[in-house]
Amino acid sequence: MSDKTPQAGEMLQGTLDMLILRTLVMGPAHGHTIAAVIERTSESALEVEQGSLYPALHRLEDRGLLSSTWGASENNRRAKFYTLTAKGRKQLVAETTRWRRMARAIGLILGESAF
Amino acid sequence: MTFSRFMHRRRKDADLVAEIESHLAHEQDEAIARGLSPEEARRRARLKFGNPGSVRERVWQYRSVPWIENLWRDIRSVLRSLARTPGFTAIAIIVIAVGIGANTAVFSVINTVLLKPLTYPDPQSLVQLLNSGPQGSFAPANVPNFALWRQQTSVFQEVAAYDLGGSGLNLTGGDNPAQVQGIYVTADYFRLFGAPMVAGRSFTAAEDSPNGGHVVVLSYGLWKRRFGGNTNIVGTTIELNGKPHLVVGIVDRSFVTEPSGDLWLPYQFDLASQNMAHYFRVAARLKPGITPQMANIQLKLAADQFRRIYPNALGPQSGFTVIPLQESMVGGTRSSLLVLLGAVVLVLLIACANVANLLLIRASARTREFATRSALGAGRGHIIRQLLTESLVLSLTGGFLGLIIGMVGVRLLLAIDPGGIPRIGENGSAVILDMHVLLFTFVVSLLTGIVFGLFPAVRVSRRNLVSALNESSNRSGVGFRSGRIRALLVITEMALTLVLLIGASLLIRTFLKLQDVDPGFNTRNVITMAMSTTGDRFQRTADIAQLVRDGTERLRAIPGVTDAAAACGLPLQGCFGVPFDIVGRPKGNEPSTGGSGFFPVSWSYFDTFKVPIVRGRNFTEHDSGTAPGVVIINEAMAKQYWPKSDPLQDQLIIGPRPDPVFAEPPRHIIGIVADMHDSGLNQDPSPTLYVPVAQLPDKVTALNSRITPLWWIVRTSPDPHTLITPISVALREASGGLPVAHIRTMDEVASLSTSRQRLNMFLLTIFGSCALLMASIGIYGLMAYSVQQRTQELGIRMALGAQASNIRNMVIYQGMALALIGVAIGIGGAFWLTRFIASLLFGVKAWDATVFITTPVLLSIVALIAVWIPARRATRVDPMTALRFE
Repeated sequence: MSDKTPQAGEMLQGTLDMLILRTLVMGPAHGHTIAAVIERTSESALEVEQGSLYPALHRLEDRGLLSSTWGASENNRRAKFYTLTAKGRKQLVAETTRWRRMARAIGLILGESAF
Repeated sequence: MTFSRFMHRRRKDADLVAEIESHLAHEQDEAIARGLSPEEARRRARLKFGNPGSVRERVWQYRSVPWIENLWRDIRSVLRSLARTPGFTAIAIIVIAVGIGANTAVFSVINTVLLKPLTYPDPQSLVQLLNSGPQGSFAPANVPNFALWRQQTSVFQEVAAYDLGGSGLNLTGGDNPAQVQGIYVTADYFRLFGAPMVAGRSFTAAEDSPNGGHVVVLSYGLWKRRFGGNTNIVGTTIELNGKPHLVVGIVDRSFVTEPSGDLWLPYQFDLASQNMAHYFRVAARLKPGITPQMANIQLKLAADQFRRIYPNALGPQSGFTVIPLQESMVGGTRSSLLVLLGAVVLVLLIACANVANLLLIRASARTREFATRSALGAGRGHIIRQLLTESLVLSLTGGFLGLIIGMVGVRLLLAIDPGGIPRIGENGSAVILDMHVLLFTFVVSLLTGIVFGLFPAVRVSRRNLVSALNESSNRSGVGFRSGRIRALLVITEMALTLVLLIGASLLIRTFLKLQDVDPGFNTRNVITMAMSTTGDRFQRTADIAQLVRDGTERLRAIPGVTDAAAACGLPLQGCFGVPFDIVGRPKGNEPSTGGSGFFPVSWSYFDTFKVPIVRGRNFTEHDSGTAPGVVIINEAMAKQYWPKSDPLQDQLIIGPRPDPVFAEPPRHIIGIVADMHDSGLNQDPSPTLYVPVAQLPDKVTALNSRITPLWWIVRTSPDPHTLITPISVALREASGGLPVAHIRTMDEVASLSTSRQRLNMFLLTIFGSCALLMASIGIYGLMAYSVQQRTQELGIRMALGAQASNIRNMVIYQGMALALIGVAIGIGGAFWLTRFIASLLFGVKAWDATVFITTPVLLSIVALIAVWIPARRATRVDPMTALRFE
């Protein structure tokens, strides 16, 4: 009954959420595209575990940060397209700011102790 | 949001499946584009994606409401496990049902009597006006009281007087005349109580003044029953006591009075009257913002004013007060209901201890199950939760059953014997299952479940995992802590049971003492009935005297009737009081001036009741209105007022009454009669004087006719019930067509007078028996289990040479030690608690030695039997089997 323990190797939950939102700034996309874009733009440093992608997408949709519709994909297959909502956009700005601040703080600490 | 997520997850899951399929297809397309064969592309896509099932599961789980699912799972597993042990489950549920049923029953009565507000609008502002004196307060009031109270308009909005049924009226003018209950009221009564009218109106002020005419307001019940529910009756006349009365209105069904009445008549007081007889009650509505305390201050001033207008009418320590009307209606019932509530709470605690004990035993037997579960990853919280779920399932099921038992039981009981409890309606019909009772039972069930479930839950979950798993079996001994908790529970049960049993025994002794009281007269084969003499025909003493003479003659002529008499009251039912002066002594205090009970009786009264005249002579038919005035006093009065002299030499004057029309000449004391219990079996006979009905002043007769019926008393040689018809016929002939009502044998009257005590005793005995049964099951269960657990140890002891008797005595000793500790604590507790039932006792002290010795002995004997059975089983342990066990 111990549910929801993060699996080893899984990205930090918040991080994946942020990356998904960032990817969708460029326009609506379906799950497969999102995974591919994250992998490509991070120069394959971040490999999205595809098993985590869909739970994250559904969670974000339930929170009202994304909306979804079924449509036809670039190679003419049925796919579910996710679009960033206004609320999602706001959330992305907040998350990004938070992330930058944290990355800077960690950078400072590492910089001091390393040299 | 959580919930909508939860509700639509099946549809969303299908959506997800399609989405995953689409993802795989895209992945496959990409791989084919890189030059792989479709099969290989498909394989890689799947490989890369991982297990779609687990993705779906994660989404599904995230969309679930965990506690609902967990609860449902726990409940299912609890139901399975309870079904595996039907014996345990049944006993636990029955014990809880009995405990909660008793509580529901008592609470439903308390709810009806004490908690429910009166059914009148804004009931908090209704008060009863009382005459207060050094000996306490009493509700009956007189016309000068009422006239003065009405003027206190600074605190009272409305003030109304009403009687409590009085003497009954004869509804004549039809084929079958009937006696109906009329309630006399003043004009403001209906406004005060906010009585809704079906048709017509209530009395006007003019109709309620002297010579205001004959008008009547009908109750809903009488209107439906007797007049077919036709509103055209308003404005027509009906015949009451042979006189036409104009029906001015009909009151709606929702208007409930206590006691209930059939119709209302205006009092038509002469507010200038100086008649000091107290014969009605007065209620008032406080002005908005006025508290009873403020009204009491105002009434102090009113009392001073009263003293100035009527010197000597009010003693220096006497005055007027108000109390909330509901409190006045409930009266002494409150304390006995609270005692019963205390008793059922004890029963429930015993039930809790009992079930906790059962659960502990059960939990010990399941130690390995729980250890295995925690080894498999179940958290401590989860095991506690499951055990609590189990106890809650038990307690709520028991509670539901208890609700049924309680409500059915209380209605049955009240139908058999309402015990004179006010506000419960006809045979307890007002005691109903409402939201309050439901909520009470639910909360009690919940609390019960938590209380008895928490002990085992916390204890079991704390157990050391390794040692529990390593235990070779579940029979290798009771954990020390568990044994101690269970011993404590058994001690508690014993102590609480003893408290209950002592309470029940005290009430049983009270009731037996009441039965033993010699009422002072012979109740066997005596039947009594009431005849209403209201109306113009019986205003003068001579009319009543004639009626009594005729009636007595006709009754005596009936074969089987041995004697007959009439009186303005019955023994055991209380009577009016009068002041008197002894002629020739200085006026003032005792022993020359005093007050006593007052019974106008016919000459054959003492003969009919077979009460001996101790000295002097009895009344005769010749003590008539024209003969010299005579009076007979009882022994109590002779002892109190003539401690050294001879009352038969003296005369006394009844009075002085403030109103001169009641004045009468001195009466010769002609005899002393043996004491009768005129005010109830639990009251010592008080000074009482008896005068011939035929010698009352006319004004007193007129007042009596109005406020009390004339009681006929008939002694028969066969069972009096067989003669009811000829007796009623004879009386109707003698009275010119008046019906009789309230036909009861004197045995029934005596039984009614102790019905409250009987109900209390009966209930507490039931509760005590339940407690005794539960406590003996409790101690038996503990010892039986302990013997079973120690089979191995006992086997070794026997193998080493212990005698069967040693083993038996050891078990008995251990069990009885617990029982006796409980008994000792119980005696202490009872000493402290019985003071609360002191007011319900009669003839027994709250620390009655007989009760305090026999009850603990009885409980100890029961405990000994309960311990003996497992002790004997212990001696039958076969050493070889015991050692090989396992």
